[in-house]
Amino acid sequence: MEKRETNEDVSRLIHGSMRPFDEKVLAASGGAAGARRERELSPRMRKLKTLLSGEVILNVICLLLAVGFLALAASNFSLAGNFLSIDSLFLTLVCLMMAGIFLVNPAWTAYEKGLFKRPASAAPVVEEGPIHFEGSLRLFLSILGWLLALTLIEVFLAYIHVPLHIMLTVLIGLSVIKAALIMAYFMHLRFERLSLVLTLVPILVVCICLMFIVFPDSFRSLNLRSTPAQSPAAIKESQQPSH
Amino acid sequence: MATEALHHRETVSLADDWSGGRLPYHVGHKKLGMWLFIVSDAMTFSALLIGYSYVRASAQEWPTPYAFYPSIIFSTVMTLCLLASSFTMVMAVGASARQDKKRTRLWLLATIVGGLAFLILHGIEWMHVIEEGLRPFSLPHEWAERWPKAPPLFGASFFAITGLHMFHVLTGVLYLGYIALRVRRVRHEDVEISGLYWHFVDLVWMFVFPLVYLMSVDMTK
Repeated sequence: MEKRETNEDVSRLIHGSMRPFDEKVLAASGGAAGARRERELSPRMRKLKTLLSGEVILNVICLLLAVGFLALAASNFSLAGNFLSIDSLFLTLVCLMMAGIFLVNPAWTAYEKGLFKRPASAAPVVEEGPIHFEGSLRLFLSILGWLLALTLIEVFLAYIHVPLHIMLTVLIGLSVIKAALIMAYFMHLRFERLSLVLTLVPILVVCICLMFIVFPDSFRSLNLRSTPAQSPAAIKESQQPSH
Repeated sequence: MATEALHHRETVSLADDWSGGRLPYHVGHKKLGMWLFIVSDAMTFSALLIGYSYVRASAQEWPTPYAFYPSIIFSTVMTLCLLASSFTMVMAVGASARQDKKRTRLWLLATIVGGLAFLILHGIEWMHVIEEGLRPFSLPHEWAERWPKAPPLFGASFFAITGLHMFHVLTGVLYLGYIALRVRRVRHEDVEISGLYWHFVDLVWMFVFPLVYLMSVDMTK
């Protein structure tokens, strides 16, 4: 029973919005899904082949030249002191014409590929199965309210001129809370699997902590700045970390 | 089937995820790719912010030039734009989950408007500091007189961090525009992935705004 359920779940994932990335999973879901995937892949390979053909390279070169001439025309427009003189009008016109000539080939290719057709008739709307989406309007509104409130607290701290080191601590604390709220609810991490959370968050925290390894050096270099000629009081004063 | 799968999902333990026969992360390959990109990009931004903090902590003095009004109020409005656009993005993903393509497009457009508003406001902000004379490796004269011991790196850190973030917002606007144009042809997962990217941009700003703006508020005014 357990086994069957798992297979059903996996095949639902494959036919639904998710794609498998595990060959074992693919094999478990049966040959039908495998064949379907094979057929899905082949147009993509064909697309890749056309991407590397000479036609595309030609179009790219044409587009680059056209952009270059347009840039020349634009620079002429901005650099010419008196734009409405014969010379400047002539130069601009020639540049625009050259750009137009180089644009003909890419435009024709785009027309042949059907890029100018109406999008509605070009491709059907993607049909998908039921989509999993947690969270209500009320929840998101309350999260937004919290974020706004915390931001206003931060701004209020700046308004009443709290000493900088206290302010730094409070600001970092509030910002971490805000970041956690955004990640948990807006970025839906709270509704994802624990595996994903444990893959993403700890590594980030560890790396950021590792970056702080060099930080004590900054206080040391601050102390190195105070010269021996200074009075002991001045040295002591400069040793206070001034943010 | 759906409720059964849901029940099934809740009952399996973490170890069972890795014992084979099922997808351990339960997400598509594109979404996993976007998550990995987000993690690596988060490391880039944290390296920049830590570098900025390092320079600032090793300096004897650091300019704190932003008056509460207009600079801080201005950047707060920018923050609100980004937060609002993040919310509309959530609504877009929700509409997409209901297969409501029209609403999805409208919410996506609202998100793009929020992003564009942020970009324009940030551009104006940049113009202000550049007009004051701030350059990547030199301070304006008034600042240099007020904070004589300050290293000239305020501009470098400011332009690098906010510039990279602006670039991300710009990329996000283009990305969302592409999704909004093709909303009838893309899958729900694609909309969701673009949402992930957009929320990440918002998340980064939640650190840039306090560290770059609020920590540089002018204490004397």
